[in-house]
Amino acid sequence: MRNYKSESLLFVLSGIIMLMISCTGSSCFEETESYLKASFYKSATRTAPDTLSLSGLNIDSTIYLKALKVQPALIPLNASSPNSVFIITVNGVSDTIKAIYTNYPHLISKECGYTFYHHLDTIIPVGHFHLIKKIEYINRTITNLNVENIHILY
Amino acid sequence: MWRTFTYFISLLFFLGCFVTPADAQDTIPIPLKIRIGVEASGPAIYFTNKNVLNEEVSLAVDLNEKRSAFISAGYLNYKYSQYNYQYLNKGSFLRIGMDFNLLKPDKSQGKYYAGVGLRYGISRFTSEAPFIEKLNYWGTTTTSLSSNKYWGHFIEFSPGIRTEIFKNVCLGWSVSLRMLLYSGTGKDLRPVSFPGFGDGTKTVTTAMSYYIVINIPYKKIKAVLKKDAPEENDDANDTGTAGNNSQNSGIRH
Repeated sequence: MRNYKSESLLFVLSGIIMLMISCTGSSCFEETESYLKASFYKSATRTAPDTLSLSGLNIDSTIYLKALKVQPALIPLNASSPNSVFIITVNGVSDTIKAIYTNYPHLISKECGYTFYHHLDTIIPVGHFHLIKKIEYINRTITNLNVENIHILY
Repeated sequence: MWRTFTYFISLLFFLGCFVTPADAQDTIPIPLKIRIGVEASGPAIYFTNKNVLNEEVSLAVDLNEKRSAFISAGYLNYKYSQYNYQYLNKGSFLRIGMDFNLLKPDKSQGKYYAGVGLRYGISRFTSEAPFIEKLNYWGTTTTSLSSNKYWGHFIEFSPGIRTEIFKNVCLGWSVSLRMLLYSGTGKDLRPVSFPGFGDGTKTVTTAMSYYIVINIPYKKIKAVLKKDAPEENDDANDTGTAGNNSQNSGIRH
């Protein structure tokens, strides 16, 4: 039998130490926001806009204010509503658009909790487009992953 | 999923029934035992954290000196809350599989175990999120997920050790590496934790278990001791130290 008993008890003790080490907490390091990721291109040259301003309709704060060379723009959607209305200004010309979508909850992780994913149905103008010439749909599922959803050609 | 279950159980049965031919005649008496175990860390954790109650009892039957059939059943009542959500999970689980003792019979003597377990786990649970809150540019959105029942499936690789501290009483621990096969909830609403597996947002989880085991000997067998392969006698070819050995072919005169 030799020292097997003491060796095994050492293993038990090492197990207790491992338990104490494993009982450490962790934090949320993941992206928790599901943005509509939109790349803006000048239709002729496929270049990014010099300045971009973006805000939600009837919201005081702005998402972007004359931001330089933003590509892609990260546009937060209203998870309490099936649509969100935005005012976009590129190089001084403005358009108002409405994004129509469905919302559903998604668990990111225990540490981060839930976010809302969206399935984009369509984007329509409110009134007439003055700036935007075409919207290309790349991926209609809007998640917290770094995946482009639409191209906006102006 | 039933096909996976069937394949896994068939594989374990094959491994359990596989008998290596004896190539030596030395034997040692080994008591085969029925082992009834209780997982000890679950109640200990509940003592300090009333939001997680995990209880598990196990039954293992030695098939021979190396292999034991293993089954365990348990219960989880899990509550978790933080600033942006609250989550509840309650249910039971069943693990079935085989333990393989890697110690030689003369060292294990039916008392000591250092080996690995392979198990298939199935879990039945209710998952609920009574409160979810998300704050972004547009303000705060609140919602909840009603209670629903699901089946979860997983496999487990579980190395560990066990030692007899008193006659027919053992202590042991194991590290479990679990791989999720199916959580039943879909990819968006994976359970924060579910019975037998742990964190359902991860495909692979690890856990530690501590067991108190009562042994009931039911049969004695004679385990065959395999002789170790004879070591090569390096001295026979050693030219530096066996200079006086006239049979050493390495010596040049």
